[in-house]
Amino acid sequence: MSRTRRRLRSAALLLPVVLVAAACVRDTETVVVSGSSTVEPISIAVAEGFADERDEVSISVDGPGTGDGFELFCDGLIDINDASSKIKPEQIEQCEDGGVDFIELQIANDGIAVLTNPENEAVDCLTLADLYALVGPESQGFTSWSDAEDLAAELGSGTELPEAPLDVTGPGEESGTFASFVELVIEEFNEDRSQEATTRPDYQASSDDNIILQGVGGSATSFGWVGFAFAAGAEGVKILEVDGGEGCVAPTPETIADGSYPISRPLFIYVNADAAAEEPVLEAFVDFYLHDAIDAVADVGYVPLSDEDLAATRERWASRTTGAA
Amino acid sequence: MALTTPAAQVGAIVPEQVRRQLTGRRSDTAGRIFQAVLIGAVAASVAVLGVLVYDMVQTGSGTLTGRLGDFLTGSLRSQPGESGLLQGLRGTFYIGVFTVVFAFPIGVGAAIYLEEYASKSRLSRFIDLNIRNLAGVPSVVYGILGLAIFVKALGSFTGPSSQGRSLISAGLTLAILVLPIVIITASEALRAVPGSLREAGYGVGATRWEVTRDHVLPYAAPGILTGTVLALARAMGEAAPLILVGAVTGFLSGGTELDPTTLGDRFTAMPIIITTWAGRPGPEWEQATAAAIVVLLVVVLLANAVAILLRNHYEKKRG
Amino acid sequence: MSDLTTPAAYTLEDFRGSRKRMRTEHLVRAVLFLAALLSIVISVLIVASLVGEAWTFVSQVEAASLWSDGWFPRRGIYDIKTLLTGTLIVTVIAMAVAMPLGLGAAIYLSEYAPAGVRKLLKPVLEILAGIPSVVLGFFALTFLSPVIVQRLSSEATQFNIAAAGIGVGILTIPLVASISEDAMRSVPAALREASYGLGARKITTTIRVVIPAAVSGLVAAFIVAVSRAIGETMVVFIAAGATGGSLFSTDPFKPGQTMTAAIASQAAGTDQVRGAGLTFQSLFFVALLLFAITLVLNVLAGRFVQRVRQAY
Repeated sequence: MSRTRRRLRSAALLLPVVLVAAACVRDTETVVVSGSSTVEPISIAVAEGFADERDEVSISVDGPGTGDGFELFCDGLIDINDASSKIKPEQIEQCEDGGVDFIELQIANDGIAVLTNPENEAVDCLTLADLYALVGPESQGFTSWSDAEDLAAELGSGTELPEAPLDVTGPGEESGTFASFVELVIEEFNEDRSQEATTRPDYQASSDDNIILQGVGGSATSFGWVGFAFAAGAEGVKILEVDGGEGCVAPTPETIADGSYPISRPLFIYVNADAAAEEPVLEAFVDFYLHDAIDAVADVGYVPLSDEDLAATRERWASRTTGAA
Repeated sequence: MALTTPAAQVGAIVPEQVRRQLTGRRSDTAGRIFQAVLIGAVAASVAVLGVLVYDMVQTGSGTLTGRLGDFLTGSLRSQPGESGLLQGLRGTFYIGVFTVVFAFPIGVGAAIYLEEYASKSRLSRFIDLNIRNLAGVPSVVYGILGLAIFVKALGSFTGPSSQGRSLISAGLTLAILVLPIVIITASEALRAVPGSLREAGYGVGATRWEVTRDHVLPYAAPGILTGTVLALARAMGEAAPLILVGAVTGFLSGGTELDPTTLGDRFTAMPIIITTWAGRPGPEWEQATAAAIVVLLVVVLLANAVAILLRNHYEKKRG
Repeated sequence: MSDLTTPAAYTLEDFRGSRKRMRTEHLVRAVLFLAALLSIVISVLIVASLVGEAWTFVSQVEAASLWSDGWFPRRGIYDIKTLLTGTLIVTVIAMAVAMPLGLGAAIYLSEYAPAGVRKLLKPVLEILAGIPSVVLGFFALTFLSPVIVQRLSSEATQFNIAAAGIGVGILTIPLVASISEDAMRSVPAALREASYGLGARKITTTIRVVIPAAVSGLVAAFIVAVSRAIGETMVVFIAAGATGGSLFSTDPFKPGQTMTAAIASQAAGTDQVRGAGLTFQSLFFVALLLFAITLVLNVLAGRFVQRVRQAY
């Protein structure tokens, strides 16, 4: 065997070892963001801006859902969790178990838009009681809008619901939009009626907001709900007004920011406090998020914080206040 | 001869029957319809390929002609008009490298053992059956294997900075996925080597390995190469296992350099980019997705075409 | 060295060759054996990585949640029949597309096509086989769904099971064609000659002689294609919607889920699959089920292929 051939052979034998060993020698500057698919576009826009300025940094942003994000976050596997609903007590407990201190930062506002098909002229405005009756835990098996009328009336609503097929599409349980909907709508009623704080299980669920919009556009008498940012620009869906007890209010940036639209919610990022103290790159990223890049909120279609709220968020970060507010 | 029919009778009746049989049914309607149906089936299958490729090129043409350079060298962005494929191309390239480096030597080695060394024992029959069954295991199940072994169990080794969700995990998972394909095609190539070639080698006193190395392998090389290229194309087009081992589906910065020390970092790959973009709304993302598909098709189909041509070339040469 | 002039002095050693060569030989044999053995190790690892978590799931899950309204793993509702039905519908639609087209193409290539045409068409079918499934998923979503499925039914949503089924069918055409063609070409020419000799036409020969003679291979093609369709993930994942969970449904024009898509959906984006309760374990359970079903089908198909080999 010639010498070159022998060399080639040893190179071939070594290559697999080199490939696998290569990874072990490196510790790059990384920022790992996961969590809500609703907040994901904001974080992506911020990450893009940050990566443009510092190209040696590796940032990844995913959007599996707020709940799944907290699972990762509380195990210390990610640096920032995007959240479209406030951290829950059991999630706080989980983070304590995982030894993760977090800094809660509100970054934007969002409303949940309740949708139907534009062809559905029978419905324009729904009360919270109607919403509970249509998709709450007691609505399992309702196939027509009118099936929910008695229940809604029992809860004090006088809306007349059409006798038409009720095709429900909405976010899945992993989604922050689901959690917010339950918190803002279902939890108004469920305890008094000794029901679980959840929706009916029998609807088409998707973690992808676009699939929900497709589902709503696909049936003439559909019902669905998504974040306002997704619904506002969408074609083929009708955004319903919601009556929270003070008359019908349509979701707009103004009604969401001032809270007059009943199903609106704050959006957060949760930062791993220890990681922020140890990794300058994470600290720089959050600084960038809250100052240079905060306009991204409006750019991707959410409702920016009022000046006071933004000042409060910056202060919370500056003092590194941990725990939930 | 036991022919008892009077010749006169035969002469009178049989030729008439035979003539009718041979000349009759000249217009074989059923046969023609059948043939037309068959040609229709072939045409439909080919047409699907044509429509698919045309549809993708058509939809993606704006991106491909407008900003091909940016598109190939850019990174993932939130805007469809700015997004590029470089991170995906890099991921897919390395997945190809892992396939070649791991699946090729092991697969060919296993094939050599099964074809050249193993007696037809129960063990070798079992290994053979096992490999055929492995080839039929759904790719998503290999993804679970990768998740359980490379990501969870060996995470600190395969990607300390990414909890194991690295190109190393992805590459090894896909190498395992295509291993049965490499073994099966290499076995077929080895089986096609004439026995006389081996006999000649043994006749002059060569050992089994010497015969295999110097005579059998060179003869079977084109066939083995074809199988490897097909396996490579398969690995580069797979998405389901990558989802399981945690390819990045949202946004990723960095991850563009070929430096092998970055193999343990988070990654994405072409099929994952296509899957993610396919789920995004609006005609612009649709265009970008179609353009990305054209790029992947060029890579994968080119590999396929090369393999097929290679095989046909050598098949012709050896008759 | 033995003395060449006295043949009687040859010992066994002289025929063994040099030690070094023998050592290489043994070493190589051992290494190659290990390579072959690795396939067994992989099988064991697959089963091992599935069984543990799947068992956790089976032993802890409430039996009632396995038979309820739909597949919502994050909510503890694991209705297996939803996934099995979705898988069955996709497979039936896929076979309705792939069997006639694949079989037709195979009969044409094997019995009718002139050598030149055959040489041209085979590579085209092989290229079709090389198309990645994500591409067909996107094609199903953006072309098959609006152009074909939504014309068949005005009720059809954009994401639907039917488009996914057709996509999977297209993916399996080359598989059906190639296995069926192999089976028919391995039917000895003598059988055809005998049929022609009896005055049979080509269509009669093909349908009454060649196809019955190759039937084992055709059955094998069908089984392998079914197995492939059941195991296909990305087409359904991209084109069938219902990524968060699905109600039990038998309507092919609505979104739905299969076993494979259910696994990928839970993993997608979650980068590490997590969720409440037994969500993570349910994924392994479904994967084990999938593994078992495809294994049975593949073994069955292998038997039929064997029968063709033994016959001719």
